Amino acid sequence: LAGIELPHKQWPELIDTLLSNIPQLPAHTKQATLETLGYICEEVSPEVVDQGHVNKILTAVVQGMNASEGNNEVRLAATLALYNALGFAQANFSNDMERDYIMRVVCEATLSPEVKIRQAAFECLVAISSTYYEKLAPYIHDIFNITSKAVKEDEEPVALQAVEFWSSICDEEIDILEEYGGDFSGDSEIPCFYFIKQALPVLVPMLLETLLKQEEDQDQDEGAWNIAMAGGTCLGLVARTVGDDIIPLVMPFIEENIAKPDWRQREAATYAFGSILEGPAPEKLVPLVNVALNFMLNALMKDSSNHVKDTTAWTLGRMFEFLHGNTLDTPIITPANCQQIVTVLLQSMKDVPNVAEKSCGALYFLAQGYEDAAPSLSPLTPYFQDILEGLFAVTRREDAGESRLRTAAYETLNEVVRCSTEETAPMVQQLIPHIMLELHQTLEGQTLSSDERDKQNELQGLLCGCLQVLIQKLGSLETFKYVLLQHADQMMGLFLRVFSSRSATAHEEAMLAIGALAYATSSGFDKYMSEFCRYLEMGLRNFEDYQVCAITVGVVGDLCRALEDKILPYCDGIMTQLLKDLSSNDLHRSVKPPIFSCFGDIALAIGEHFEKYLIYAMPMLQSAAELSIHTGLGEDMTEYTNTLRNGILEAYSGIFQGFKGSPKSQLLLPYTPHILQFLDSLYMEKDMDDVVSKTAIGVLGDLADTLQSSAGPLIQQSVSSREFLSECLSSHDDMIKESAEWAKMAISRALSY
Amino acid sequence: MAPPEHRRQFKRPAISDQQRRRELSLQRQAQNRLDAQHRARCLASSALSFETAECEPECPEVELE
Repeated sequence: LAGIELPHKQWPELIDTLLSNIPQLPAHTKQATLETLGYICEEVSPEVVDQGHVNKILTAVVQGMNASEGNNEVRLAATLALYNALGFAQANFSNDMERDYIMRVVCEATLSPEVKIRQAAFECLVAISSTYYEKLAPYIHDIFNITSKAVKEDEEPVALQAVEFWSSICDEEIDILEEYGGDFSGDSEIPCFYFIKQALPVLVPMLLETLLKQEEDQDQDEGAWNIAMAGGTCLGLVARTVGDDIIPLVMPFIEENIAKPDWRQREAATYAFGSILEGPAPEKLVPLVNVALNFMLNALMKDSSNHVKDTTAWTLGRMFEFLHGNTLDTPIITPANCQQIVTVLLQSMKDVPNVAEKSCGALYFLAQGYEDAAPSLSPLTPYFQDILEGLFAVTRREDAGESRLRTAAYETLNEVVRCSTEETAPMVQQLIPHIMLELHQTLEGQTLSSDERDKQNELQGLLCGCLQVLIQKLGSLETFKYVLLQHADQMMGLFLRVFSSRSATAHEEAMLAIGALAYATSSGFDKYMSEFCRYLEMGLRNFEDYQVCAITVGVVGDLCRALEDKILPYCDGIMTQLLKDLSSNDLHRSVKPPIFSCFGDIALAIGEHFEKYLIYAMPMLQSAAELSIHTGLGEDMTEYTNTLRNGILEAYSGIFQGFKGSPKSQLLLPYTPHILQFLDSLYMEKDMDDVVSKTAIGVLGDLADTLQSSAGPLIQQSVSSREFLSECLSSHDDMIKESAEWAKMAISRALSY
Repeated sequence: MAPPEHRRQFKRPAISDQQRRRELSLQRQAQNRLDAQHRARCLASSALSFETAECEPECPEVELE
């Protein structure tokens, strides 16, 4: 109730009533009061509660947490309440005395004899580390001692939170250092205190110790999370935070344990190696990887422990992910070792599901590294057929449902197809009938339990995804396009049948595949439209699974470019739905900018026939344009605003270009003052990104080109046609410059009449 | 015990192939839109050049990444 009423200022006496006489209350009432305060803080946003009430809440909560509070239930309720109230404590954390007091009480609570209180207190420390990172310096030494003791000695739920504290500090420092960019100019709002770098000599040994505490079956259990997993995750984050400095601290541990008889030691050493492969400079890691690679390939074949093999395959995957590809100077994969690597991975894909899944992952990154290689240089070519057959065989394994193996195999198949060349395309094309047959089989009417149906839908999604990748690949190779088109009717029939399932993922994948097919078949796609259009509208209506809606909007764009004016008979239905989408508060905001861009696609395709939609689309564009002028607070808002602006501008571009050369182009004249004003305002706000600048100046050109002399006086009055244009003409960005050249030429022509 | 929600799945890559398929499709669509715009402007530019008897540089087709 408070969550509903407080934001409307309808229950002003609530907090005072709850807090009155709290010291005199019996323990169970005190506990209930603190729990209520915790729920309120969880439910309402900080702006809703004034500072006076925040102070009172914090006082009551911190008193309840104090060691002098004899009742453990009350102390626990207070600690949990503090966790929720931390977001309200900005002012209190800026006051040294108040902050010291809160931190002291939290740290004391981490030493409580009650495990649940200790766990809750560490959860508070984790939350403080992300919300008040910049205030932590005076306490970090003590916190290190507390967390270190908890990691070594405490029960697992407490130890996990203690490790999470350091993972969270890593997250903060990675973000801050990323904002600094490479230049370390320090323009981030929050300075980096380098807590991880300072703690490194003691933090790393502590984390390495946790790696040895694995559970026997953790790799088979999807939901497992234990101290070894948390410690390894944290070690990976530490490596990303400090880079090269981690190497000398971890290498001795690896060397000491990697060949020990106890599987725990071998696995921990392998995991440690895999964890530090992202972060340090490649030139530091490559020599180590060159030494380790052969050892790892051998371990993947011969180690007696599945757990070690699982981590070994994962580590190989990390080597290929971060240290293989044409951006790196020294290749770790050479013609000499490529065959061995492929042979080992293909063999390992026959191992137990969890190991096979990681080997598929390694093959995924191995293929990805060759994606940009020149066609004749792909060293995978000689093994291509074996790789395709091996992966396809994995998808058909009886136990492929375990450990996400089937998904990993299909995803790897996709990546291998993406990196295929003209030379290997004949093998890729042979996959099509096999994948279609698999999809066909999932659509045959069996009665399934709901669990089986979920699996079936997941498989349909994977198969549609795979077909999408095949369509895109073969469609891009002129010599193979015709083979693809021979299968188009059958494929389309299968995709349409997928829409009868109720799975959003399957719908999304089928829709993406259809978009790719429309692009490949071009105007030939027309014959599918009468049947497909109802599914298209269904996708545009899917507010709940907004990803489906967003993908469908993109497919409308594909259709416009493929069919051009042949899309006209379907436009009423499409436009009605798009306009409804824009008016809805229920649709996720991220879908709205692409809808505007889609207006541009439709207008460009149907030209002057867009006339009948102008009275609906233009006012919507106009009000969105006004809204988008003022950027909201925060980085996210700025990014969204620029995406929205770009969508609006792309709509205007498409509309102007669509009407170009038609006598009806003059219908656009009444909207022109507003559009020019929008461009002027964008220029004046000075917060456009480069993409928006490029699109905006292009719109100015399209407007001049379409309306010509009738817009001349309006263009002359606009700031955009002078200052903005001249800035864009001297831009360092080639795309902006090119659009500006276009605008300049179109404007000079419009003004010359 | 379950891992914290914001942590990536243990020993799994950060980006799924599904995410990659979405992103590549969006990239293709954005590129196709740009190409369509380019084509429209190229037609207009060449008409303009014809009228003014000036030789404008050809608009380059942007390659899909």
